[in-house]
Amino acid sequence: MSDLIPFLVTGIASGSLYGLAGIGLVLTYRTSGVFNFGHGALAAGAAFFFYTLHVTHGVAWPFAAFLTLLLFGGPVAWALERLTRSLGDVPEAVVVVATVGLLLGIEGFLFIQYGTSLRQSPEFLPTSGFDISGVTVTYSKVISFAIATASAFGLYAFLRRHRLGVAMRAVVDNPTLVALSAVSPRRVRLTAWSIGSMFAALSGILLAPTLGLDANLLTFLVVQAFGACAIGMFSSLPLTYLGGITVGVAASLATKYFSRAPFNGVPPAVPFLVLLVVLLTVPATRFPKRRASLRSLIPETKPMRRGTAAVLSGAGMVGLAIVPAVVGTHLPVWIAALDSLIIFGSLALLIWTSGQISLCHAAFVAVGVTTMSHMTNGLHLPWGAALLISGFVAVPVGALVAVPAIRLSGLYLALATLGFGVLMQFVFFPTYFMFGETLQVSAPRPRLGFLDATHDKQFYLLVLAITVACIAVMVAIAGSRLGRLLRAMAETPTMLATHGLGVNVTRLIVFCVSAFFAGIAGALAVTQYGTASTAPYGPVSSLLFVAVLAMCGTRLLRSSVLAAALLSIVPGYLTSFDVSRQTFAFGVVAVAAAIVIAKREVISQMTTRFARTSRRRPWATSPAAAAPRAAAGSRVPAGMVR
Amino acid sequence: MSAVQTSGLEIVDVSVAYGGNKAVSNVSLHAPVRRITGLIGHNGAGKTTTFNACSGLLRPTTGAVRLFDKNITGRSPSARARTGLGRTFQRMELVNAMTVRANVALGAECPLVGLNAIRQVFSTASQRRAVEKASTSALELCGIALLADRTVGTISTGQKRLVELARTLAGGFRVLLLDEPSSGLDEEETERFGAILQQAVAERGLGILIVEHDMALVMAVCQYLYVLDFGTLIFEGTPAEVQASELVRAAYLGSEAVEAAVR
Repeated sequence: MSDLIPFLVTGIASGSLYGLAGIGLVLTYRTSGVFNFGHGALAAGAAFFFYTLHVTHGVAWPFAAFLTLLLFGGPVAWALERLTRSLGDVPEAVVVVATVGLLLGIEGFLFIQYGTSLRQSPEFLPTSGFDISGVTVTYSKVISFAIATASAFGLYAFLRRHRLGVAMRAVVDNPTLVALSAVSPRRVRLTAWSIGSMFAALSGILLAPTLGLDANLLTFLVVQAFGACAIGMFSSLPLTYLGGITVGVAASLATKYFSRAPFNGVPPAVPFLVLLVVLLTVPATRFPKRRASLRSLIPETKPMRRGTAAVLSGAGMVGLAIVPAVVGTHLPVWIAALDSLIIFGSLALLIWTSGQISLCHAAFVAVGVTTMSHMTNGLHLPWGAALLISGFVAVPVGALVAVPAIRLSGLYLALATLGFGVLMQFVFFPTYFMFGETLQVSAPRPRLGFLDATHDKQFYLLVLAITVACIAVMVAIAGSRLGRLLRAMAETPTMLATHGLGVNVTRLIVFCVSAFFAGIAGALAVTQYGTASTAPYGPVSSLLFVAVLAMCGTRLLRSSVLAAALLSIVPGYLTSFDVSRQTFAFGVVAVAAAIVIAKREVISQMTTRFARTSRRRPWATSPAAAAPRAAAGSRVPAGMVR
Repeated sequence: MSAVQTSGLEIVDVSVAYGGNKAVSNVSLHAPVRRITGLIGHNGAGKTTTFNACSGLLRPTTGAVRLFDKNITGRSPSARARTGLGRTFQRMELVNAMTVRANVALGAECPLVGLNAIRQVFSTASQRRAVEKASTSALELCGIALLADRTVGTISTGQKRLVELARTLAGGFRVLLLDEPSSGLDEEETERFGAILQQAVAERGLGILIVEHDMALVMAVCQYLYVLDFGTLIFEGTPAEVQASELVRAAYLGSEAVEAAVR
């Protein structure tokens, strides 16, 4: 027993901080309807701000902590309230994009400011301690725990007793009613964001000394709060706090029992395991639900005319075919862009066509990468066969992710897929079946008859041919029966089910198709560079994919082309536009894009409402539409033409 | 009425509880083919809950739902639909970005492809012809053939109700559940809607179970009525019997509504 005590102490101390962060997250989610994926990034931002004040400028720690809390409880909370309010009532996917953008923006900013290497943050609380059956418990841990618990109880009392607190609980149910009772819902939300941000900041400051100052680590480790929230069913604050402690203790105990490879990836994945288990076992109706599905994000404009589309795509293909002759040494950039095009196409099929959110797309790509390596270097299969197998091996992985998609939608699907991506990175990437302990794989370029793809120019042409084939299939799918079913599923899955469609089969198919193409893209990527590490296939990449795609609109082909250009070609030419700057820029633009979509949504709702009230003669709005009315005859329902 | 009772949808002793609240208790009703059956009652009387229990969107706590003498209580909504049960929604479930024809075609396609993954992805020419034929005839029956190429987002509420009806008609279901199909329609549109329903029953031998607040429509088209009050069935009979019933008057109709319908 006594050998467990150190793990329990560490677990409870860090767990209480996860719980604190989780409470802030649930509070802001329930009052504003926006689940903030950037909550952990706030904690990271606070930790760095505190570090700058305390370590770089020598400000005494209580004062530095006070200033940090002031910043996050004040201006930052104000900005967040402003941002989330401007999102209004947009579909869930847009909200996810906005807060994922926030996460990327803050993380990118921290990368640019402080670099990507880990810094040590000195422990500012007393490190002396006392003994419990031979185990030293430091005062810093006790103080952390006390602060977290006091904050949690303080909030609980505030919500029960204070007028504003009671109003806060009411805003969740009905903001309009609260406004009628003379408490401004805006003030209530502002208070909630203020408390939420301060709790995130507090947990960031207190976690940094144990975890070290690493923007990525902090952003994703405070995401432990997700696990805590799940235990609290995304609604109960006391349960969320207890959930935080549970997650902390479980993760801490896991470090004791899973310390050796290949299982040493389990402890950091524990919160997501908790999240996944809760999301997959608790009935979906138990989770709070606030937003509509993707509805009306699908453009209502008619698709391009066939002729125009043919001319444009023909011109595009000719353009791409002469690229090798024009771009010189930048050719690898263009190969990578073709590869991104397949990735974005497969993602757009999933997100825009079928209305499913996936935040683990990079994991599908990674499966393709590693399978390609195993098939070529390991089993020495012919290159073409290895390529196809890479796609097919990704299919069951896609099917696995479709399981949460059957039960969940919107936010909870986003969380489950993000959890799956993290799980893949920590637990499966290091196994023999994927990247192995070296976290690196390699694959050779093919020689196919007359085509010697070891030369970039010939490899480019090969990749171009494969890309065109993949995109053609995706476009064909979008135009086929499956495409129609998917578009309808994005808007009204219930209707399809009550008309006899096996909607779960449809969901399964789209995830499998999407994963297949992502796998092909991965296989091409590892072939291009010869080697691949795990770095580009973590959860951040998945988030980046979604953010970049979202800022390029909601079309299948056009958005994918634009997104591929943004993510691959621009950084290829602007070498100063490194990963940190990309993360920052794409994060910021994703937030902006979400706001633009929200504004457009408001405008389109206003115009349809206006049209509905002003249109007395529905068929007489344009001469072309009015013409058939004359020939209508007796079949026209009398009540329809007034 | 027992002479007309050929097999259709039967609900036997169904109760549905939300948490501790019984929304519907021990309701039994029968909606045979070739008849329009009405289900009326106050807001909150449990009409939509009964519908959802029929179409499988929620599971009854006790009781059974039978369709053409098959017990379908445990089946999923899509399995029930493939057994021949179609429905519309009080809050319309249309794909606004698609045309009227595409929406109606979905009604024909969904039961056709069902769970079959191959059929969901690939369509044969004969399937396409069948879908085309079913949707054209449904569009014509509902009198919206001229709207076929309009985007659903741009048409009026009355027209949308007809698109919903056309979609279930295209699906070839033998029993239809219509959830307040006339809400949002004016008098003239409602009248027209009733005529279409009667035509559909006459031409296709359908059974229709309709939840409706518009008493004029109910009294005009239904041959048999069930009256729900606070989750229990308080009366059943022909429209004339319902109108004559003091119990129904007291609980629900009120004298004005009945008189209005009689006129």
